[in-house]
Amino acid sequence: MRRRDFLLTATGLGLAGCSRAPAPRSRSLVSVTRAPAYSQNIYDTVRRILAEHKLQVRGRRVLLKPNLVEFEPGTTINTHPMLVHAAVEAFRGLGAKVAIAEGPGHRRGTLDLADAAGYFDIIPDFEDLFTDLNLDEVTRVRLPHPVSPFRSLYLPNTVLSSDLLVSMPKMKTHHWTGATLSMKNLFGLVPGGVYGWPKNVLHWAGIHQSIADLHSLFPRHFSIVDGIVGMDGNGPIQGNPKPVGVLVAGRDPVAVDATCCRIMEIDPARVWYLTLAGGLDGIAESNIQQVGEPVESVATRFELIPELQGLRSTQRPA
Amino acid sequence: MDPSGLEKIEATQNADGGWPYHKGGSWTEPTVYALLAKRAAGISVPASDKAAAWLSAAQRSDGGWAPRTSVDQSTWVTALVTLLAPEVVGADRHARGLDWLRGLTGRDSSPFFRWRELVVTGKLIPSVEGIGWPWFPGTSAWVSPTSLGILALRKCYARQPSTRLRERIETAQRFLFDRRCADGGWNYGSKHAVGYDLDSYPETTGQALLALAGTDPGKLKDSFNLAQRFLREHRSSGGAAWLRLGLLAHQQLPAGAPIFTMPCRTLPDTALTVIAQAAEQGYNVFLD
Repeated sequence: MRRRDFLLTATGLGLAGCSRAPAPRSRSLVSVTRAPAYSQNIYDTVRRILAEHKLQVRGRRVLLKPNLVEFEPGTTINTHPMLVHAAVEAFRGLGAKVAIAEGPGHRRGTLDLADAAGYFDIIPDFEDLFTDLNLDEVTRVRLPHPVSPFRSLYLPNTVLSSDLLVSMPKMKTHHWTGATLSMKNLFGLVPGGVYGWPKNVLHWAGIHQSIADLHSLFPRHFSIVDGIVGMDGNGPIQGNPKPVGVLVAGRDPVAVDATCCRIMEIDPARVWYLTLAGGLDGIAESNIQQVGEPVESVATRFELIPELQGLRSTQRPA
Repeated sequence: MDPSGLEKIEATQNADGGWPYHKGGSWTEPTVYALLAKRAAGISVPASDKAAAWLSAAQRSDGGWAPRTSVDQSTWVTALVTLLAPEVVGADRHARGLDWLRGLTGRDSSPFFRWRELVVTGKLIPSVEGIGWPWFPGTSAWVSPTSLGILALRKCYARQPSTRLRERIETAQRFLFDRRCADGGWNYGSKHAVGYDLDSYPETTGQALLALAGTDPGKLKDSFNLAQRFLREHRSSGGAAWLRLGLLAHQQLPAGAPIFTMPCRTLPDTALTVIAQAAEQGYNVFLD
């Protein structure tokens, strides 16, 4: 093993904490919080969510990673900028140094996209806070226990040097994977500048396997899922707005995403990347300490394209 | 031509001779666009230029170029480098780059792939008309790298015509025609996914039109109309530049087309704006 590879492996392992192999299982805390609209109340709501999860981020570099896909401000394709701004303020309130970063999958003008999506209007000094992950400096990171054919991936240094990655996806259906949530949102970390637009290597390596491998590098990133208005039908771009009125958050992305699936009335056990990354144990309700609104009180049926009907929960929440 | 674009390009060159996208280390793509912009503005770049030296040194042993020197893989950016005049990196290096580019195809283009998919997954993959280029070896062909591959080979063909080159250009152009969306423009990849029509994008529509210069304009009427509409509504300087270049290639840029209104936020945006302005004044560096 070359020294450089060794160092990069060490970086990867450091990011992973230890490895994907689960430690003796403690129940993962997942909060489901009502947030009926993108209004000023959202700032207090996000502050309460962070307090609930007792995040210790004083003096730490926190990187918010929203889901920016398309230029359209009036749609539900992108994570809403007001939610991202609320997270900026809330993490700053806890003493963190906050930055925002994203590497869209197929549109090249990331800042233009963010501008059109309303980020410049809502987040003061947005351009100073933001890094285009598609064009960032990169380091090759070896995957500790790959399930895809990848043995290593180039990843942006802005991500690798952050202390806490916060995945902030939109709650959407996805025509290939069933649902795109905090783990699928990690595709935006993979640099287009190296792999292209789209990052088609991830598809050829297996979308589910690639998601699981990215998760293995960031297994304890924090997640705040924008489920205020999600997207159903032919997501993640051409679907329909789906008001849900919730924010789902937690430190265990598998547990967060499994909970979102239950809210969407998708069976998490049938979303392959979830079981690849967390096993059936990781998505089991018995292993999730769910607080806030009960899933059954907010669950709403996300329409699925015909090809994905097999993902539907066999049982609707009581 | 607005001199501020060239001034910005000059001001952002790294000490090693290359250019960054915003700031930081040098990348192949912005370096090539900077040199193309200079060329478009009538500034010749000798092999002794430090940017040319940076590009020459960055060539990999397989003949291709990586997106940046720390990346261990030749990719689509090789097409960009071969768009430059051979003397910039040297005729031999340039020829090896073209060989690498000609050897690259989208993985989904081969009949073997479709046969394998049928055997392994039971799925019948529809055959793709034409053969395009991928962003990254071992992956599917896409509209942007295919358009740039065509432009690179056209330059090569203009210098040294050959049947093989012409056939490769034509088959790649067939790929673009096959991928055209229902509205006449181009998405970044396919025209539909899981049975749903996909939307077109300004950047890829401009690039594809540029790469289809010289083809039957009668087949492109819808594409011109859409590109003109995109140009009126443009929301990025890069998109506007590609649309202008694509429409100019077919003499379809409307008189009084709106001027650039969006900021140039990356070096390629700045360079493409300079290149489009030069094309409007009669010199299209991608075609001439």
